[in-house]
This record gives sequence, C-alpha cells and structure tokens, in this order.
Amino acid sequence: MTASPPSLKIRMKVNGDSYESEIDPRMNLADYLREELALTATHVGCEHGVCGICNVLVDGRTVRSCLMLAAQADGREIRTVEGLAEGGKLHPIQEAFIEEHGLQCGFCTGGFMMAICEMLERNPSPSEEEIKDVVGGQICRCTGYNSILRAVNSAVSKMSASRP
Amino acid sequence: MAIEIPKSLAELPTTEPRFVGRGMRRVEDAALLTGRVQFIDDLVLPRMLHAAILRSPLAHGRITNVDTSRAEALDGVVAVVTGEDARRWSYPAQSSPDGWGVHCIAGDKVHFVGEPVAAVAASNRRVAEDALELIEVEYDALEPVADPFEAMKSDSPRVLDAQESNVMMDRTFTWGDVDGAFSQAPHVFREKFRWNRLGANPTETFGCISQWDPMALDLTIHGSIQSPGMFGLGRSASFGLPSNKVNIISQPHGGSFGGKGGTRGCDISCLLSRKAAGRPVKWIEDRGEYLLSGGSQAWDRHYDVSLAVDANGIVTGLKVILVDDLGATGEGYGAISAAKPLAAFTGPYTIPVAQYDLKLVATNKLPCGPYRGMGPPPHFFVLEQMMDIAARTLGEDPAEFRRKNFIPADQFPYTIPSGNEYDSGNYDEVLNQVLALADYEALRADQVRARAEGRLVGIGVASAIEPGVFDWNAYAIVGMPGTGVPEGATVSIDVLGMATVRVGFSLEGQGQYTLVSQLVADYFGYEPEAVRVVQLDTQSAPPSFGPGGSRLGVAITGAVLGACVRIREKMSRVVAVLMQTEPENIELMDGKFLLKGAPGAEMTVAEVAGTMLARSDLLPPDIDPRPEATHVWTAPGRTPADEEGRAKSYLTAAHAVHIVQVEIDRDTGMVEIQRYCLADDCGTRLNPDTVEGQTEGSVVQGIGAALLEEYVYDADAQPLCTSFMDYLLPTVFDAPKIEMVAVVTPSPFTPLGAKGCGEGAMHTTPAAVMCAINDALAPLGTAAREVPASPNRIWKLLDDARGGAHSSSA
Amino acid sequence: MKSAPFEYAAPTTLGDALEILGQNDPDDVKLMAGGQSLMPLLNMRLARPELVLDLGRIPDLDSIRETPSGVAIGAMTTKRTVEESELIRSQHPLFWESTVAIGHPPIRNRGTVGGSMAQADPASEYPAAAIALDAELVAVSAAGERVIAAEDFFVTYLTTSLEPGEILTEVRIPRCAPGTGWSFHEVARRHGDFAIVGAVATLRIEAGVVVDPRLVIFGAADRAIRIREAEAEVAGQPAEEEVFARAAARIAQAVEDPLSDVHASEEYRRHLAQVLGGRAFRGAAERATHEGPGV
Repeated sequence: MTASPPSLKIRMKVNGDSYESEIDPRMNLADYLREELALTATHVGCEHGVCGICNVLVDGRTVRSCLMLAAQADGREIRTVEGLAEGGKLHPIQEAFIEEHGLQCGFCTGGFMMAICEMLERNPSPSEEEIKDVVGGQICRCTGYNSILRAVNSAVSKMSASRP
Repeated sequence: MAIEIPKSLAELPTTEPRFVGRGMRRVEDAALLTGRVQFIDDLVLPRMLHAAILRSPLAHGRITNVDTSRAEALDGVVAVVTGEDARRWSYPAQSSPDGWGVHCIAGDKVHFVGEPVAAVAASNRRVAEDALELIEVEYDALEPVADPFEAMKSDSPRVLDAQESNVMMDRTFTWGDVDGAFSQAPHVFREKFRWNRLGANPTETFGCISQWDPMALDLTIHGSIQSPGMFGLGRSASFGLPSNKVNIISQPHGGSFGGKGGTRGCDISCLLSRKAAGRPVKWIEDRGEYLLSGGSQAWDRHYDVSLAVDANGIVTGLKVILVDDLGATGEGYGAISAAKPLAAFTGPYTIPVAQYDLKLVATNKLPCGPYRGMGPPPHFFVLEQMMDIAARTLGEDPAEFRRKNFIPADQFPYTIPSGNEYDSGNYDEVLNQVLALADYEALRADQVRARAEGRLVGIGVASAIEPGVFDWNAYAIVGMPGTGVPEGATVSIDVLGMATVRVGFSLEGQGQYTLVSQLVADYFGYEPEAVRVVQLDTQSAPPSFGPGGSRLGVAITGAVLGACVRIREKMSRVVAVLMQTEPENIELMDGKFLLKGAPGAEMTVAEVAGTMLARSDLLPPDIDPRPEATHVWTAPGRTPADEEGRAKSYLTAAHAVHIVQVEIDRDTGMVEIQRYCLADDCGTRLNPDTVEGQTEGSVVQGIGAALLEEYVYDADAQPLCTSFMDYLLPTVFDAPKIEMVAVVTPSPFTPLGAKGCGEGAMHTTPAAVMCAINDALAPLGTAAREVPASPNRIWKLLDDARGGAHSSSA
Repeated sequence: MKSAPFEYAAPTTLGDALEILGQNDPDDVKLMAGGQSLMPLLNMRLARPELVLDLGRIPDLDSIRETPSGVAIGAMTTKRTVEESELIRSQHPLFWESTVAIGHPPIRNRGTVGGSMAQADPASEYPAAAIALDAELVAVSAAGERVIAAEDFFVTYLTTSLEPGEILTEVRIPRCAPGTGWSFHEVARRHGDFAIVGAVATLRIEAGVVVDPRLVIFGAADRAIRIREAEAEVAGQPAEEEVFARAAARIAQAVEDPLSDVHASEEYRRHLAQVLGGRAFRGAAERATHEGPGV
C-alpha cells in the first residue's frame, strides 16, 4: 500500500487543557487519550463497550471511550480520571473509594468513578435504584461490588456535606 | 542461624499491635485512583513496536503454506515471524505434561482455534492488525475432536502427532481399602456432574514489552505478570537462555486470579524483538484474544462420584472419577489443577479412605489454564452435592449431616487420606456461627411456608477447605520438579530511620504492600506511611513466587518478619555494645531498644540505624553495620510425595461454611439469590479488610461460576463465546449482600498464625449455590448437576419433571 | 481489536449527508448514529466500510417535538434525552419504559433512537415498542421522504426496509387512546443485557371486554413479531386469566423460526415467549383498568 493513510485534524479540551492533533480517523477516543495525549488513567478492558472501564465524561456525560471515535470528540470537553483530583487534593469520590475499600487492583475503578461523577453532578441524592443502575453498567472482577456500593453511598454523603 | 519468627500477634515487639490485625487505608490506593500507577499498556519505551498475532480459524489442520510477503511490504511493518522462526529460535512449552508442549507459533499443524500462526510488529497496533490481513495461510482441515470421551477412543483424531493417544495421563490413586469400604457400606450413592469451562477474566488482559538484546543475548521483559520469577524461568526454558539472562519486570496489574496467561504471546513478542534487531515489542492481548486463546479457560470436567455411608450417616469412603479435558496441550498447568484436589480431597470430613481415578485428555480446544482455587472448586462442587444426596436420602438435615462428619477440633493437625495435613480448625464452631448468623431455623420455617404457596425456595449449606501456602512437592505426580516455593524480602532502615522493603512481586489487588507496611510498622514502631515498599525486577529481587495458591499473605509475612528479626538481632548487638552490656539484656518494644531493668536507658530504632550507618567507627569490626537484612521464607516441614501422591503439600487449611437461600422462577428458570451468609476461618486475620475484600470478590466470582460463566464450543471445537456478550461476568445485580462472620483458629505452623485466604470463597460458593438450587428442586424429584445453572438448563429440568409436556407444544 | 482503515465524514446538514451517500457505492458506506452497535463491529473488523458517515453533527435530527397526534423524535436523539424527557415519560410511558431497559447510562448517553431502529437487532426493545405503538418511521433520500409503518420497517435479522441512499430521520409515535393499558416484560441473563425474549402488550378495556389488543414478542425470532393469533384470542373477551392463558398458548406456534444461541435454545425461547406474552397481557389489563384515561 503506497497511498498515504487518511488523516483528520481534531481539537478538544481535556481536563481543561486544549489539544490539537492530526489523527487516523479510525482512532477511537480511548486510544487517542492514551496514545496521543499520554493520559493513560483511562483503561481499556474489552473494546466493545461492555466492561465500562474506559468511561470518560464528554460534555458532562459518561461515554464509553472505546465506542466513540476521537473525531466525534472534536470540539468537545472531555474529563478523565486525571481531572478528578485538583491541586493534589483527592476528589470526594476518590476519598470515598479509599475509605470504603472500593478497589482492589484498581484497574476498573476509573470507569466507576467517571460514571458516578456524572450521576452525582446531576443528582446529588440518587436513589438506591439509580445508584445500582449506574454501578450495574460496569464490570469489576476483584471486589464483588458491595464495597463499591458502600463507596458510592459515602461519596453521596461527602458531596452533599460540601454543598452550601 | 535459626531465627524465631513471631507465631502470633502477641509475639510482636509491641505492647499491642497498632496495625497488624486491623484494617487501614491502603497505601496503594491514592496512586491507583489518580492514575499514577503504571500498568503495562501505560508504559512506552523508545523505538517500541506493537505486535499483533494471526490466529488459526481452524480447530485442527495442517498448515500447508504461509506467505508473509505482502505483510512485510506494508508501510510501518518492521518484522514478521512464523512457525519457522519459533522452531529456529525457541523450544516447546515446558508447562505442559512431558512431551505435550508445542512451540508458541504453530508450525506444521494447528491444534485449536486461536492458536498463533504468525505475528507482526509494526509502528502501531492498527497497522499491525492491517498487516495480519495480508498474511496468507493455507490449511488442510483435519477432523477435530471436541469431546474428551471421543478423544479417548482409539480411532479418534489425534490432537498431537508426537503422542500415541489423546490421553495425557491416566492414573488412579487409591488411599486405603476403598473397595472394602464400599462393599461394606449399607448406603452407596453415585452421581455424575458436569463442570463447564470458565475462567479468570481479570479486567486487564495480559500485556508485555519484550526486548531482545542482540549483543548481550539476553531478554528484558516488562509485563502484567502474576509470578515474575516463574515467568522468567519459563522464558529461559522457551529460549534456552541461562536463567540469569532473562530479566522480568512485573508491572502493577489489573488482577490475575491465576488466569493472566500470556506465555505464548510473550514468547512471540520476544521473537519479534529478535527479528526487529532488538527493538522493544509491545504485545497487548485484546479481550477477544483473551477469551479465544488466552489464559482464560479452566476446569472442563466430567465427574462420576461415589460416596459410601454407614448406618449412622457417617461417610466411610469417597471415589471420584474425573475426565478432565485439558484442551490441546495442557500447557496452562492444567495437570496441576487436576492434581491439587489431593491437598484437600476429603474436604472438612473424616472420610477415612478415598480414590481418585484421573484421566487428563487432550481435545482440539484451548489449553486450560489456572483459575482461582486451581482445581478444588469443582471438586468441592461435587463432594458437597454428594453430601446433600446422602443427607436427603437418609432424611437428615444437611447442616447436621455435615457436622457429624466434620473433623473434630481436637484432632489437628489432621492428615487426610490423600496425604496432606490440615494445620488447625474448629469446623463445628464455624458451622454454629453461620447457622446463628442466618437464623437457620427461621429460614427453614420460611421455606415451609413458601413451599406451601408453591414457590421453589431452596437453602444450601456447603462447607469446603481452602488449602493455602502451596509447595511443588505433591506435583511430582504430574511431572513437576519437587522444589519449594520461597518468598523473600529485604528490609532496610536508612540513616534517618526510615524503612524500605524490597519485594519481588507487583501490585495485583490483594493489598500486600499495605500488609508489608503494617508488619514493619508494628515491628519497629513506625506509622505505615513511613514504610516504603519497592518492587525489584527478577535479576535483583530475593527469591519470589508472588501471589498464588493462597500463599502470599503468609509467605510475605514470614519473609518480612524474618528480615525484621534479623535486623533486630543486629541492632540489639549494636545497642549492647553502646550500652556496654550483653545482647540478651536488650529488648525491643514499641520502636525502642531498652536495657532491661534500667528505665530510661533506651535508643530509638532511628538512633540505632543512624549510629550504625554514620558512626560505624563506634562498632566492633565483626558487626555488619547495615540495618538491613534479607529473609527468604519457605513453608516448613514439606515432605516428598510417595507413590500415591501423598505429601504434606499445602501448609494451611482455611475453612468455611456458607448458607445460601435461592428462589427459582418456575416459569423462566431464573435463579435469584435471596440471602447469602457465611462463616470463615482463615486463622489470624492479618488485615481484616483485605480478607473481607477477598471473600466478597470470590463469592461473586463463585456466583458467576454457578449461574453465568461458560465457554461454549460446538461439536467441531469451534468456540462460540468470543466476546463479553457471550461470556457473562457478574455485575452488581448478580451480587447479593453478603453477611459474614469470622472465626479465628490460628495456624500453629505459620508466621503470626495466619492461613492462606486469597482464593477464598471460590472453594465454597459454587457448591453452596448449587446445593440451594437442588434443595429448591428436590420436591419436584429433579436435580441440577451441571454448571452454570443457566435459566435454560433449570427450565429444562423443571419442564422434564413436569413430564416434558411443556406448554409451548400445546 | 482495532478497526480497519476508513475515511470519515461528519456533515452538518441532512442535504450534505445525502449528497455524500449519493457519491458513494452504498456497500462502501456505513452510517454512524450513536455508534454503540457500529463501533464494536468496526473494532472487531466485522464491519469494514470505506467510509463512515457520521450523522452526529446534524442538529435537526436531534429533537423531540410534540405533534397533534403524538410525538416526533428525531433519529439522532439519544436514549438519554428520551429518558430525561418529561413529555415522553408522561405521555408515552411504554416507549419510556423500553428506553430505560436498554443497556446502561453510558450506552444510553450515545445510543440513539434512530440507530436502534435501523440496527433492527431481534432482541432490541425499541422495534417491539414501535410495532406495539403503531409508530411510523420517516426515511429521507435524494428522491424525497417516505413514511414507513413500524410493522413494515423491520424485515429480518439486522435488516430493515430502508433502501440504499435512505437515511432514517424521525420516529413518530402516536399517543395511545385514553384508557390504554400497557406492559413490558423481558428476561435477560443479566440486568441490562439484550433480552433473551421480551414481550410488549397494549390494550383497552371497554364495557368489560378487551379492545384493540397488541402483543409483540422480541428476542425469540429474527425480528420483533406481532402475535395476531394471540391478539385474536383476547379481542372482545373479558380481561380474565383464562383468556390470557389461552392467548399465551397460541404464542409458541406463532414463533416460526426461533433463535438459538449460547444463552437459550429454540424451545426455551418459545416457552419464554409464551410466559412473557401472558404476563404482558395481564400487566396491560391491570394498567388499563386501574389507570384511567390518557395513558
């Protein structure tokens, strides 16, 4: 094959920083974040949208980054795990996960945290059913999920406590 | 010099342990949660290439031609390897039973769907996969064999040309007068069971970056690796390299559960690196590859089990016939998985004689690999159901039936017929605790009411032993050399008194670095955050196996405390010199070295370390001035296996009893778990949060095994479960609230009295869930004997019990 | 699992999209809606288009608007938007219920109404709801607009009656008659999975008898299917258990070529269709009698 591969210019904001790149159009958002921007806290578990480990926030909405083309993120605002802690201070969701032992190997945890972030930013008092619906879209192989539910409940208290 | 490692928490040099035996915030967590931990795919090396592997679409066939020329010409492709390169530069896998190993890339024959037939290294993974499509491979299809019973027949297609049959091993172990016990027993029960393939599926698949040095002729491999030492020895064997020419750096990794696999892919990345003149080659196994051809599948078993019971309901004999389909080559240590049940063959019971008729068979399916429990979980699945069959037939309550067959608390250490020794236990107490937790009587009363309403409610009581802290000795029966399994740690204290611990394994999720911090903190009076845990690569680390076989908590405790004891002895000698007394007058307590009987005469650990390092002029010349020591811990008292495989193999025996309540929807066959209670005893709990986490995680994996997870193959050995749409992992909706109570019967043989507990509930949960399902089905006169107990399977049983005239045929 | 190479276009108007379609061999182009079905196929190289035509930048296609007869949902409206729409939740509860049964929040954040309809997965909830509700699907091409009844839209496994060059732009859902009861049931291996089998029913009860019953079964065959035999059994009859049981008994035979896969055999699917069909009728009857007008 001698033709030059197709390429696309895209620009987006990730965790508040602006990026501009030229990419292979088939590159998905997960690979773009990891390979082009070296933001590797977004992990990849299955590449077909089932495990939920690759979740990022796109304009405030949880999205499976393996099921979105980088091109589709052009012009959008992305938030990843790297953007949760600010100024060396852990996000309340991260604190909650530590306190409630909501992680063991930690590989899947980012996916949970981003989905929980969307939920709590939109609805600070989710019902048990709503929490389960969000947690239910993610796979964890280590914890058995009960400690993750405890972590979410703890995050709910922490985030409502910090509200005026 | 023999050193005395503390055998209980009371023996630690503290007034009271502040950390060991308690939960705490894990030292690993902040870095994990902020993405600052480097998993293998996060690592980028200069001039790194990316590999992709072409895999056989056939289960069985001869390769007649491989043409890689178009792939080699693709822009961005740097190296291509085939079976020819594998034969030229590598050896067959050593992890198979003797004579069954094959090269990492198929040469003249493919043996299972997904077997590598070629591989490419290119500038990125997308291009590498493009290149795979340009490789032309021609096959002559051969008839595959998918069923192990067919495979055992003399006219079956032969999986491996080098072998005369498909039977890798056919051996019967007889422990005691089994024939006598069965012929004399007033009750003999016999049943067949089917355990279908399932496997680890950690959320992170295998990955590695391999670097061949063409000048030094050595290999450096970074990877997502559970047991770096063993992995390194495997690579040495693959490439015929001296053991000191392979260096493994294991990255923190996303779980393993035994089933990380990756040996073929790693060997292939090494070949590619060699072909690419030493450039590092990264291979990340994608999920499709993992499910199809990774370390993903285990326990493809057909059981035929008999139980002999006397007139008083005491079990007098156990016979297990197992046909274990190890797949094409058994290269995932499948033989060990079949042999491990010897370590706990008769479970928690006093069954005096037993027999194990074991056939390991090859078929044209993926070679089976390890999974959590490494063999016993299906064994207990069948044993516990046999106990229920006996109890139900004899009209006895399953909990009491088990109780009267339990090994009594005063008989430990107890040697079971298959040779292993259980260190300690109080099985009666564990049963009592869970019966109380579950309010068993109330559950049974509720069940009576529910049954009167026509509901299918079942209660299962199951008990199993978790062998912990393994040795290789018993596996001599499947051709493994009988070496020990050491774990080493180096503890050093610097000039300001800060501690660093060097270990040989990486993060996997079990909180071992936190445990290490807790141990050193309590030993020397630190806060755990003042202890730094550093992982070394295999060329620098003390001997290390890492996690596996429920060993690391105990083993690393032994290693770390052993090193601490050695440092304490050195420091005591230093303090003695400085205080002008004898070392036996010096005591360490709560971080201070004290002169006995002289209050106020003391030095802190930091002061002693500072003196040793900065003022060695004050020390006599025969004292090693480094406040540092390495200790390697190996399980004591292991014995070689005799001709019937009997050996003291696993040092500890943890015990659990689970009580599960399920309800089955008559119309759909769906099983709902309504209540989950368990009591478990793993000796001293070094970190209760960790134990609880392992328990909860393994219960849910066990539920996955019982209800959801299965790798299905068709009659032509074509795999049908190739994505997460087909292979179903449990989600939060499948996880019940788990009620737990702990019993503590310390081990007399281990550091701090702890027992191995990492494989956990995998031993008991599938059995408990199945026993509950069968308790629900019992009034209908039917039983489920195959896992997973999918809705389709359960519905079929219900329908057949109704006479097979299911309403859909009206 | 990385996609084969492709060109990518994301036009901002429907006209531009149609033009691009016209310029290419239809076999070479894949329309991308939310991507939740297409991206896995691309990643696994099961779909290998030369061009991916992304409809996600066409603002007109993302809309929910009330119409005199019901609601019109733009094809690129995400399921999340539908989920969060008070209009849909209150006026079209069956469609709303079908929406939240789909997958999980991140999937619904990207997955679209039109994408699901065009994907025509036999186990998908949307086609069944569309048929039960007598929805209409609007397809636009260079030749103009075509309105397709839901029952004519879903042809077979992953196949609709959309022609090459057509783009689905809107799904129109009529309001149910006052007093309509509805019910939605499915059995899946895990919560949120594609259904093994599902059933959707609507009916009214007037003067003590069932009027205008609808029963649609999905997941059992190559597409969502209306079980007219079962509907005929309940029409004009009292809303009683006996009647529903008779109707359910007609379902198994009506499922001609049941699917079979690793999760469920043909006979199990037939059986589930029967069970869930009965449950759906019962549930619809309960809602019809207890919920008053304007459902």
